[in-house]
Amino acid sequence: MKTYLTYTLMGLAMGAVLQRIGFADYDEVHRMFVFSDFRLLLTFALAVGFSAVVFLALRAMTGMRYDTKSYHPGVIPGSLTFGFGWAICGACPAIVFVQLGEGKIAALATLAGILLGVRLYRILHARYLQWDTGSCGI
Amino acid sequence: MNEYWPWWLGGLGLGAVVVGFRILVGRPLGVSGSWAKIAFWKQESRAVREARALAGDQAAAQDAFLAETLAEFGEDAVAQLGVEAPNATPAPAAPEATPPGAHLVFLLSIFAGALIMAMLAGDFSPRLELSELHTALAQGSPWQVWFSLFMGGLMVGVGTQMAGGCTSGHGLSGCAMFAPTSLLATATFFSGAVAVSLVLEVLYRALGGGS
Repeated sequence: MKTYLTYTLMGLAMGAVLQRIGFADYDEVHRMFVFSDFRLLLTFALAVGFSAVVFLALRAMTGMRYDTKSYHPGVIPGSLTFGFGWAICGACPAIVFVQLGEGKIAALATLAGILLGVRLYRILHARYLQWDTGSCGI
Repeated sequence: MNEYWPWWLGGLGLGAVVVGFRILVGRPLGVSGSWAKIAFWKQESRAVREARALAGDQAAAQDAFLAETLAEFGEDAVAQLGVEAPNATPAPAAPEATPPGAHLVFLLSIFAGALIMAMLAGDFSPRLELSELHTALAQGSPWQVWFSLFMGGLMVGVGTQMAGGCTSGHGLSGCAMFAPTSLLATATFFSGAVAVSLVLEVLYRALGGGS
């Protein structure tokens, strides 16, 4: 029960913040990718910098673990595919829900695409790729 | 439409979400992971059930073995072994598996949070296209717009699963922990998106537009 409550609170906060940042606005995201506007880039950089500082402090004070992901052959081709797709549909896996929340009904097509893609990858992986991706955590 | 947050406010807000998630949930924020759990709902539910059953079985087995040892050799032998009597030690806590339902609740809450905020900020408006720029870049009919979104989504789905993370998992959480894999992944997906966006921009300008 506590898990559900925590996930609900974090989801609400994340959706609200991403909406106000404008990360779900295709035009804003496109302007970030063609470097005609640096607001989103700075936002992202500050978010990473802020988190990095807090994580360092937490690690020093409470011994928080750094759960990092290990390298495997899918990292580069996968990231490239994701980047291409992001530029085309203006959505990453969280943003599609923010777009829907803003009333962008067309994002339903993106949603269907992502769901199919996630399932498709599992099949591709099992049949052809089969590299060790390390633990993905539950 | 309202102005979006300035970079410093958005950056602090987003950073607070990343940190809050790590502290409250106990694992790094990563949305594509939640997607995978939902896309494979049946398998995930079964895995969670089996993990719990296994933890229970192991605890029961440990107790049974200790009880048998106690019955066979007496308390002294058990004490000699340096093992505590049955039930004195709680079973080793298995890492709590998150049911896929919680991941679905998380993603739906992102939707709800955005919906509430969009309404409060006056950004909410139902529309069938993403934006005029997107429609222009997709060059045409609503079908082409929807088809491009579907194909883009497909690439996002396949790509994030293949890379083992997305903007949140690699880009935010991973980079904030200076993970080499995540830094590489972030640089790669960002470069890929920049390349495609520049091509789209050139095509768009060749057709007489400009952003």
